[in-house]
Amino acid sequence: MAGGERRLNALVLFFYLLKATVTTFSGLASLPVLRQDLVLHHHVITDQQLNTAIVVTRTTPGPVGLYVVSVGYFADGVPGAIAGWLAMIAPALLIIPLIHFIGRHATHPRLRSMLQGVVLASAGLLWVASLPLARETVRDPLTIFILVVSVVLLVLRKLDSLWIILGAAALELGAASLHVVQGL
Amino acid sequence: MDRPSLRQLGAVFFRYGNWTLGGGSATVAVLQAELIDSRGWVDREAFSLAFGLARLTPGTNLLSFGAGIGWLLRGWGGAVVALLAGSVPCSLVALLVTALYESWSRNRFVEVGLRGALAAAVGVMVATGWTLIRPYWKGLAIERLLVFTGGAVGLALYGMTPIQVLFLAAAVGLAWPEGRGA
Repeated sequence: MAGGERRLNALVLFFYLLKATVTTFSGLASLPVLRQDLVLHHHVITDQQLNTAIVVTRTTPGPVGLYVVSVGYFADGVPGAIAGWLAMIAPALLIIPLIHFIGRHATHPRLRSMLQGVVLASAGLLWVASLPLARETVRDPLTIFILVVSVVLLVLRKLDSLWIILGAAALELGAASLHVVQGL
Repeated sequence: MDRPSLRQLGAVFFRYGNWTLGGGSATVAVLQAELIDSRGWVDREAFSLAFGLARLTPGTNLLSFGAGIGWLLRGWGGAVVALLAGSVPCSLVALLVTALYESWSRNRFVEVGLRGALAAAVGVMVATGWTLIRPYWKGLAIERLLVFTGGAVGLALYGMTPIQVLFLAAAVGLAWPEGRGA
């Protein structure tokens, strides 16, 4: 289960996961914060596990932010997965005071600008966070091809990531069975 | 407008919050048809309010949207029921598949297949960056893209932590509303 060098108890893990989910505004946007704390600082999971969490939760139904549950499991088993689930759902309740107190005034230019700034910055952070993961997983012409085609299909064709990930796995298996790449 | 029971509310979010493939946007489209057109539980204005504010709420937009709709329909009980019904089943499936991955990961076929899947997952991350920008793309001033996205890339590569970058982006965004010079 735990592939990192160290362990965190589930409560501490919950606060790290919550820190990532409560400071960002969509599913995978929390990944750079989470990677900074759990992979780089505390070494409780590896980049490979972080990437696998994305694969697992993009091939199962549910929201994109679900990868936090899988990350929690890799870090601390079932208690970690529960911590991940709680960290995923807790920020959602903040919409209630927003509806109650801000309601229809939520279009204030400064508020909208702040949100836009955070979301645009999240995109940049996500691209930076993908660099070390790419260095670890994209190592030969076939995986470079898979990466490029995945991005093109997701951006231009809006294809569901489930089919991209399953197709990539099938392509790699097909290439290995034909001895185009090593593995089988 | 009909007011659903907690059970009915839970049933809708259980069915459409967990099992619709295609991510948040696809699920919201299905919920729109279900909540407004089929069941008549909310009007378009309330739906749009919950949808808009979900984007302003930290975390996963789809879950915030569910909690918002639940709260509008049945108060705190509705929010909690929608949140639990929309998150517990898919979390259990994710947990199960993650646990199975542990025992399958040494299988040669899984190992090879995962090599391709992991490369595609990096593609998902790169494309998600674009997905985040896309709602703002139309009419987005190039200087805002450069300051926020370009600035975040530069500062992160320079060594600033993501949380510092995000707080800085929030502060700059607050001080610099759209339509005004930097």
